[in-house]
This record gives sequence, structure tokens and C-alpha cells, in this order.
Amino acid sequence: MSLCKTRLQEERKQWRKDHPFGFFAKPCKAPDGSLDLTQWTAGIPGKAGTLWEDAVYPITISFPEEYPSKPPKVKFPANFYHPNVYPSGTICLSILNEEQDWRPAITLKQIVLGIQELLDTPNPDSPAQEPAWKAFSKDRTMYDKKVKEQAKRYVNAG
Amino acid sequence: MARDTYLKKVLGDECFGRVQRTRVVMVGAGGIGCELLKDLLLTGYGEIHIVDLDTVTLSNLNRQFLFRKKDIDKSKSLTIAKAVQSFNYFGAKLVPHHGNIMDTNQFPLTWWSQFSYVYNALDNLEARRYVNKMCLFLKKPLMESGTTGFEGQIQPIYPYYSECFDCQAKVTPKTFPVCTIRSTPSLPVHCITWAKEFLFHQLFDESEISSMNNEEQIRNETDDVQEKENLAKEANELIDLRNQIKGLDGSAFIESLVVKIFQADIERLLLIDTLWKSRRKPIPLNFNALSTELQQLLHAKNNIISTDTKVWSVLENLFVLYKSGVALQSRLKSGKESFVSFDKDDDDTLNFVVAAANLRSSIFGIPLMSKFDIKEIAGNIIPAIATTNAIISGFSSLNGTKFFKHDYEQTGSVDFSPIVKESSTVFISIKPNKYITAASLVSPNESCPSSSLLSRGIMNLTNQELQENTLRWLVDELVKKYGYEDGDLSIIVGKSRLVYDVDFDDNIDSSLSELSGFEDGDLVLIQDENDELENLELYITVVNEPTTEKLPNIQLREKKAIKEKNEDEQGDSTIENNTNQDGTTMVIIEDEEDTDLVMIAEPASKKRRIAGEEYM
Repeated sequence: MSLCKTRLQEERKQWRKDHPFGFFAKPCKAPDGSLDLTQWTAGIPGKAGTLWEDAVYPITISFPEEYPSKPPKVKFPANFYHPNVYPSGTICLSILNEEQDWRPAITLKQIVLGIQELLDTPNPDSPAQEPAWKAFSKDRTMYDKKVKEQAKRYVNAG
Repeated sequence: MARDTYLKKVLGDECFGRVQRTRVVMVGAGGIGCELLKDLLLTGYGEIHIVDLDTVTLSNLNRQFLFRKKDIDKSKSLTIAKAVQSFNYFGAKLVPHHGNIMDTNQFPLTWWSQFSYVYNALDNLEARRYVNKMCLFLKKPLMESGTTGFEGQIQPIYPYYSECFDCQAKVTPKTFPVCTIRSTPSLPVHCITWAKEFLFHQLFDESEISSMNNEEQIRNETDDVQEKENLAKEANELIDLRNQIKGLDGSAFIESLVVKIFQADIERLLLIDTLWKSRRKPIPLNFNALSTELQQLLHAKNNIISTDTKVWSVLENLFVLYKSGVALQSRLKSGKESFVSFDKDDDDTLNFVVAAANLRSSIFGIPLMSKFDIKEIAGNIIPAIATTNAIISGFSSLNGTKFFKHDYEQTGSVDFSPIVKESSTVFISIKPNKYITAASLVSPNESCPSSSLLSRGIMNLTNQELQENTLRWLVDELVKKYGYEDGDLSIIVGKSRLVYDVDFDDNIDSSLSELSGFEDGDLVLIQDENDELENLELYITVVNEPTTEKLPNIQLREKKAIKEKNEDEQGDSTIENNTNQDGTTMVIIEDEEDTDLVMIAEPASKKRRIAGEEYM
């Protein structure tokens, strides 16, 4: 629908004009050489001073046809280590959930900032994977170690 | 007395004369279409085109009165055009088209441009949106109509002068996640979907792969390894059972089916702790405990199966499942049918789905429903009522014919402001005092994606021009013609593919024919990245001879100016939104120049549903 495409181009424009430092976001190239505005890749930098610092974590964002009535689906790579990320990489975040806090006015910038925030402040009440959630609630040393190991793998990402 | 005496009195000689010289199109020849065609014909329209892609089915016959049993499986548009000939008193020329209105080959823009007025009699959102868009492109007046049960509405649409179909957001139909259906149902509709889309489909239908067993979708939804394994196992066992259907005798088949789906599968689900942390646990069916009673029921004379408004007990549902399951099994065994598809009018299939859905509901502590109510949900039926269709069609043709009191045809004017003042949206319902409510037309919604801040036009190119001209040429032409500052524009083709903006010029030297999205009938969206000019939507038309004016001769308005104008206009009337205690929203439109108070007291969501989706 036309609302979806005008809004997506608007998001692209706004992002170009102003986006938070250290982040990137771009639509994917379709096989025919055009840019598919419904499929984006983006990078989320870990906040300085946290376990997640010095790395940029890649995500994919897919916008459904009903966007912005319905939220985009945002994923880290599969098996990403975080209590609120499903093994498939899908991020469990209230602002990305249609039944919860998604509002059509939420922008791409707000989404990526929300995800950056989630990295260091997981929500233990909505576990999405066993390993990270268990470690986070019961074995913090192990959790910290795993997160730092993961950060090393994404140092050069983006 | 001549047949047109009264028509002339009512409409006036002039208006009636125009109607007789007019060519209109009616899109849709179903519930509303049958009623509406009769009305249009008896109003005296000179030429009526009828478009429908559907064929007549049995369930249409109770209300689509122009069809008979002998017409089943025949094209609706062709049949309807023949059916009205017996009362074609004014000698209207009827032109039926069997096809999809969204097919740009069969119905190119040039085809659309021959009509003076478009009557919609559609049953789905997608086609409505498409027709709305075509009418906006060509500035054709459109009469939109729809019914659900006792409720219905008409909405005259005068492009850019009144709200278009997209000005009010429509609710998109809700879909259920597969995992809810397969593992954790909580509503009757979940169990009905399970029975119809999964169980019935996997057991009896053509392909063994149902949408409820889509691995990819399941993977996206759940990450619980145990749950996924379980879902796969459940489905595989069902396939095993399907393969045995013809070899087993009736009672053995039913017993293994019931024990598997209502006992073993549920017991296995119970083992997944995480599912039941915050949910009520299901209780497996105890088949052994019920089998004696079931046998008694099977041997007694019993016609519970034909009572469709009573809610059956668990035992009765089991009985119906047995009866219908065995019936379906023997149909497959007989070899006459190699598979059976769900059809709400095929009683074996409906009974099976009703009983299976209810048995599953009882296991999950969900209320059971009657066959009648389940049929409505499983068959995606919202009761269609002939009288509602007749009333709505009456309003549709009466309101539409008003257009011909004006001389738009001769003048070619598209200033619709006079007719907008005379037209109204009409709602009908069964609520006392609100049988009929009317509301005057309002200006297009400022934030409407289809009719606000957007101009439309046709771009005429020959095939050779498409091959010779590059994207750079198009950008230059657009800048020259419409004056985009710094050439800062973006071009989007298809649903959402960006081919150009200042940050993306990879394709700048490709010819238009190399880029997909510039074929005959394609839509191209141009936006001003500086946000000063309104958006432009181009309809690509491939012509045989090169034209001097390739881009439409229009002046793009400044966004700022449009916004200011809209604000001024809205100063005249105030719209209040109050929510009543009964949950209905009252929209009161007070017009200071006119003391009429218009009240629409439909629940806001319902109103949108009527406009959006309706089943005739």
C-alpha cells in the first residue's frame, strides 16, 4: 500500500539527515538492482562502559506490507547471546510487538536506540532463550564472560 | 403511458436524458451487484458494463436473485447480463466482462476512461482499493457500497473533493500464529481453525501440506525445541494415519484418530512445562470412558446431527465425529473421490470440523459452539441478507444518479464541489432509531495516503522510448517539468522498490526498460525529498506513437499550501469524538453554516469493518 512506501522512504530520508552516532542502517539491494525498502540491515553499537562496548551488532529489519500499522520484525543473527533474543535471533521487545507497545509513530531511530538499550538492560521477566537467561539470573560471571566473548566476534562488524 | 413517464417526473427531463446517454461500469456482480444492476437498468442508464471474475455457486442463490440453479459454475457477469434482458425496458446496452478488475491487460486505463460513473459492488478490500485508485487517477466519481448482516453503507467518492476509500483506515483481518492454533488455543476460533485448516486438511484434502504445518512459519514463531519437535511429530503421525485410512474399518479409524489427537497429542503437549506456566492445562479426552455410551448412541436412532442451533455435548460431538469421519472415509474408499476438500455446504466435511473443533475446545476449557455458529466462522460467513443488499443498492443508485443532475459530461469539469454538497454517506442498521443515518461528505483526510498531498497522472511512452531513455533522462525531465529543487527527488516502483534518490544513483544510466517497474500499467511514485512539493504518482502507459507530452501536464502543489488550505476548511466545522458508555463512538459533525446535526452512532471499528470487508 502506498502508505507503507511513502513512510519507508521518509524513514530512509530521516535516517540520512540524522542518525545516532555509531549506528548504520540501509535497505538491501534487490536482485534487479533496486533497493528493497522493506528489507534493511543495520548495526547496533554496544554502549561504552558496558559489557557490550567496542562492537557493532548486526540486525535485519523486515517491514510487513501493513507497516506502519504493524511493526517490523527485527532479528539478530541466529543464536545471538542475550536473554531476550530467541534462538532464531528474533528480538523480544515490547515496542516491536503489535499487541504491546508498537505505535505507528515509532521511527527507525527509536527502534535501533531501543535495541541498543535492551543490550545492557535485559528484561528477566520475558526470557526468550535458555542459556543467556539462566546465566543472567543465576551465574553472572559466566554471563559476563559469554557476552564479552560475543562482543569480540562483532568488533569488525558493519 | 410510456414507461419513462415517472422517471422523467422524478429526475427531470434533462437529467433523465443524460442518464440515457451515459456509460457506467458496475464492478462486482454478487449480492449487491444483482440488486444494483436491476436498479441501474430501471433508472435508464444507456450502457452498463459489468465486471466480475467469479462463477455462480449454490450458496449464492438465496439472495443473488438473478441466478438460478442451472447457472451454477457459469460466469456471474455473463449470466447476469442475460438474466436482466427480460426487463431491459429502456434498451440499455449491457457489456459483461468476465475477469479480474485489477488485470491491467484486460482493463487498461484507457478502458476505465470511457465511463462517466463507477459503481462498486465488491466484496473485498484489495479490489476496492484498486478501483478507488483508478478513479482517483482519472477523477471519476465512484459509488462505494458494502453490507454485513443488517448493516450496510454507501459512500459517494468525488476524487479530491470528498473522502476517498483510503481516507479512513481499514482494519486488516487478524491472522493467528500457527503455534496458538496448534499448541495453545484459547478461543473457539482457534479450535475451529485447527479442525479445518490442520486436522481436516491433513487427513482428507488434496495436498498433505496445510498452512498450519508450515515449518518456516513455526520456526519464526517458536524457539522452543521441544514444542517444535512435538509439532512435527503430531503432523507426521497424522500423515501415517492418512495413509492407513482406506485400509482401516470405520470404527478402528475413528478410534485411532480420537486417541491420537485428543489423547496422545494432548498428553505430549502437557509435557512441555513452559507452555503451561501461565495457562490453564488441557485435559486429555478419556476415550475408554466414553466408548460404551458412544456405542449406545450409535445403535440408537438419533438425529442429533441435524440439530444445528443446539450446542452438542462432548458425547454428542464424539458421535458426530464418528458418523462424519466414517462417511468421509467411505467416500475415499469408494474411489470416486481421491480427496475431499472442506466446503461449508458439504455436510460431512462441516460436521467433522464442528465436532473436532468442539472436542478440542472441551479439552482446553473453551466454550463449545453450535454447528450453526461454527459454520459461520469456518465458512468465513457473515450472514448476507438480501434485504440489506436491496436497501443499500437502492441508496447507491439514487445517490449516484444525482450526479447527472449536473452537466459534468458536456463541460468536462472535475470541480465536484456542487455535487459534494448534495451527496451523503448513508449507513443502515437494525438498531431502533438508527435504521438509516446519513452524513454529509467531508473533505479528504489530510493524512490519507491515497488522496492527500498527492497528484496523479499518466506517463505516455513508446516501447522504443522505454529502451532508449535512461533513468537519468527521467530524473531530468521530472525536474524540468515540475521544478524539484536541486533535483532532490526519489523514485519508487512496485510495492516498495527504490530505484533512485540522491543517495542511490547506481541505476542512473540504465534504460527504463532495463529497470523492472516501468511496464504498461505499472505505478511509479515520485517524492520530493525536500518535502516542498506534493507526491506524484505516475501510471505508465505504453503507446504506439511518441507523444510530445510524455509527462502529465499538472502543477504540483506545495505541501505547505495544501496543509494551510485544509486547516482553513476545517475551521468551519468541528468534529467531536465522544465514547458512550455502551462503547459506541458518537461522531458529531456540527456545521456552523448548516444547523443540521448529523450523528453517526456506529461503533467506530464496526463502521470501518463495513467499509472494509463485507460478505455479500
